[in-house]
Amino acid sequence: MNSKPQKIIINADSNQYQNWKLCVKSKFKTIKSKNIEIDCENFDLSCSDILELIAIANESNCKIVCFYSTSSKTIVSSQSLGYRSHFILENDSYNTLKMNNKDLNISKADFHQGTIRSGEYLDSPGDLLILGDVNPGAIVRAEGNIIIWGRLLGIAHAGSKGNARATISALQLRPLQLRIASKVARGPKEKPQLGLAEQARIDSEKIIISQLESI
Amino acid sequence: MATDTRVILICSGKGGVGKTTLTANLGISLARQGLTTAVLDADFGLRNLDLLLGLENRIVYTAQEVLEEECRLDQALVKHKQESNLSLLPAGNPRMLDWLKPDDMKRIVDMLKEQFNYVLIDCPAGVEDGFKNAMAAAQEAIVVTNPEVSAVRDADRVIGLLNTNAIKPVQLVLNRVRPKMMANQEMLSIDDVTDILALPLLGLVLEDEQVIVSTNRGEPLTLNSVNSPAAKCYLNIAKRLQGEDIPLIDPVEESSGFGAKFRRLMQTKIF
Repeated sequence: MNSKPQKIIINADSNQYQNWKLCVKSKFKTIKSKNIEIDCENFDLSCSDILELIAIANESNCKIVCFYSTSSKTIVSSQSLGYRSHFILENDSYNTLKMNNKDLNISKADFHQGTIRSGEYLDSPGDLLILGDVNPGAIVRAEGNIIIWGRLLGIAHAGSKGNARATISALQLRPLQLRIASKVARGPKEKPQLGLAEQARIDSEKIIISQLESI
Repeated sequence: MATDTRVILICSGKGGVGKTTLTANLGISLARQGLTTAVLDADFGLRNLDLLLGLENRIVYTAQEVLEEECRLDQALVKHKQESNLSLLPAGNPRMLDWLKPDDMKRIVDMLKEQFNYVLIDCPAGVEDGFKNAMAAAQEAIVVTNPEVSAVRDADRVIGLLNTNAIKPVQLVLNRVRPKMMANQEMLSIDDVTDILALPLLGLVLEDEQVIVSTNRGEPLTLNSVNSPAAKCYLNIAKRLQGEDIPLIDPVEESSGFGAKFRRLMQTKIF
């Protein structure tokens, strides 16, 4: 057995949907590597599904090292189980992303709908658009900008790979902490005025918050 | 044999917010409405649901012995003294901490489903193995929290975990509400809590000293004290769980209204 990771793809498009566990089992039989990467594509997996996957992997003496998916639900589940997980943009395979990593066009946005709760973590290789609240204790991170159509009460990190021009915008900006590129700032103490969207960006080496004019 | 049994997990994340008290009182209230109810104590490392129900000295077997086929299920189930519709099943022995696996939990709940209308699972505090085991067999959940920042934060974490495990619906019970402090804005308000947690509110439970008395006696409040404010809240929660439409109490009104003042006066020890 060699140790270079091999990738198994699970997707919802084919007729495998009904019986994906059986299908995965048969795929594991053909695999030669011990370390497995799972690409779930657009398939929604819950924590219990992933636990079953792990059990199947253990049966064939394999170890899952990483999850890829375009479904944020799958990513949140696998991350909450402590697995390395990569959120992939739709219509954009991981390989091309990796190749173009340096001059990645960050106008592409990942989209997440729903509340991000305490302890949860969301990471995006481009811009991140969240339709919902980011609760205290949650962390959202993007290599590009972060836009939250809701309240930001947790921690947000924009420009996580060093883009100092990244911004964080929210309908209500009341974060515990803001990070842009390598700068860190504590959130403001006083509550912001209701009904005014705000934006945080770096201005002369400091993170400042101003009223949002345009994204 | 009951067909559509509801298996409800009662959890909170943080300890000491009132999971066990809610489980005991909800169990009694449901049983009083004529529904056969089983309360399963999944917090068996530090079990005290039996204490609250006053059944400590009647426990002989636990779910562990049932699964190992050392006894039958009906031998392990402890019937409540006054409410024969209510039975208690401890999930395990406090000395054998790591025997329970999610599959065991599913098996034991499947057995309970055959006999009961309701199965209430009292979940341990924390989000580690104990919680994951308790969660394995649940279909829906009630999250208990107090109007304080740490309890709300932990509840939020737990709700996230319940969502990723596809447990639905999740409802909220806000416990130990002090109307006076809430009216003076010294405590998180109901809106503060529901804003963050974004869950439907199943009920409020008012802070009540009689809860402590009843816990120490091993007689849940809902069993006989009709005048206790907390007991009323528990009864209302049980009714709402059954689908009855009962309006929530308004804690601000509760603290300032004439009725409340009069009731407080009546409860003062001088009289």
